[in-house]
Amino acid sequence: MTSAAGSTLTQEGTELDLQRSVLHSRPYQVVVWNDPVNLMSYVAWVFRSYFGYSRDKAHQLMLQVHHEGRSVVASGPREKAEQDVTAMHSYGLQATVEEAE
Amino acid sequence: MARAFRATTRGYRADMETYERRLLSHLCADVISMLEARGQASGDDAATAPEDGFAHFRRELAGLGVDIDGETEESGLEPPADAALARLLPDASGDPAEAAQLRRLSEASLRESKIADLRAARMALESDPVSLSEEQAPVFGRALNAVRLTLAARLEIDDEDDAERVHQMASGSKASTTEEFMAELYTFTTWLQESLFSAMLDVMPDDQ
Repeated sequence: MTSAAGSTLTQEGTELDLQRSVLHSRPYQVVVWNDPVNLMSYVAWVFRSYFGYSRDKAHQLMLQVHHEGRSVVASGPREKAEQDVTAMHSYGLQATVEEAE
Repeated sequence: MARAFRATTRGYRADMETYERRLLSHLCADVISMLEARGQASGDDAATAPEDGFAHFRRELAGLGVDIDGETEESGLEPPADAALARLLPDASGDPAEAAQLRRLSEASLRESKIADLRAARMALESDPVSLSEEQAPVFGRALNAVRLTLAARLEIDDEDDAERVHQMASGSKASTTEEFMAELYTFTTWLQESLFSAMLDVMPDDQ
């Protein structure tokens, strides 16, 4: 990456890129749904190992799935959210992608 | 009687009877067959054929891909009708059109990754005791989960009450019906998976 100091054009370009990335940074979310088969320990482990969440956060999300029926476990650009949903499916969790409110 | 998974210095280990390992391996093989049959029904062979840069064109030529209004039809992969396959290969969106599109993009690779997990699990079940490295443990765990999801679909476990019913069925006297036998297998694989992931969670560093 090179320095763009002094170049107005590049700065504008950067600002546009920034706006674009802000616009697209949170519009999609990964929802994991409760089901009577997946084990609580397993679900917590998947959240920890795949998303890299702390023990507490993973546990909290797992409990939310269990008690409320669903939990938004991640959000981000559409492609990333879709990738995450497929990953959740590869672990056997029921997950869907949806547009953030 | 098996001894559940526990952490060792080099991963995880479970002691299982020969018939238990064989049975579990058979269950993995059954799920593999089911996924492969789905792949064949979805025309994976055509999709993976190397020569085919014209597949899309030929589909249109054959009148497959375009509907009467000229819009692209949501053709190709319907959601699986079978309950077990539907659990293993679920819709990725609540919106049917969106779900169909995502299924076309990702189902084949999802199926392949599950088949690879199940094959690796069968390999691991060849050895006595069953020993898993840190890398193999999640793979084995995912395969166990696929087996559990399949058994759960056959046992019609749709809510917590159903799960309890199956648990009761399994804790009864010796299985005399197919359903009771399946309930026993479900309870057994649940117990194995629980022991494996409890051990894995214990070993996982707190800051990960």
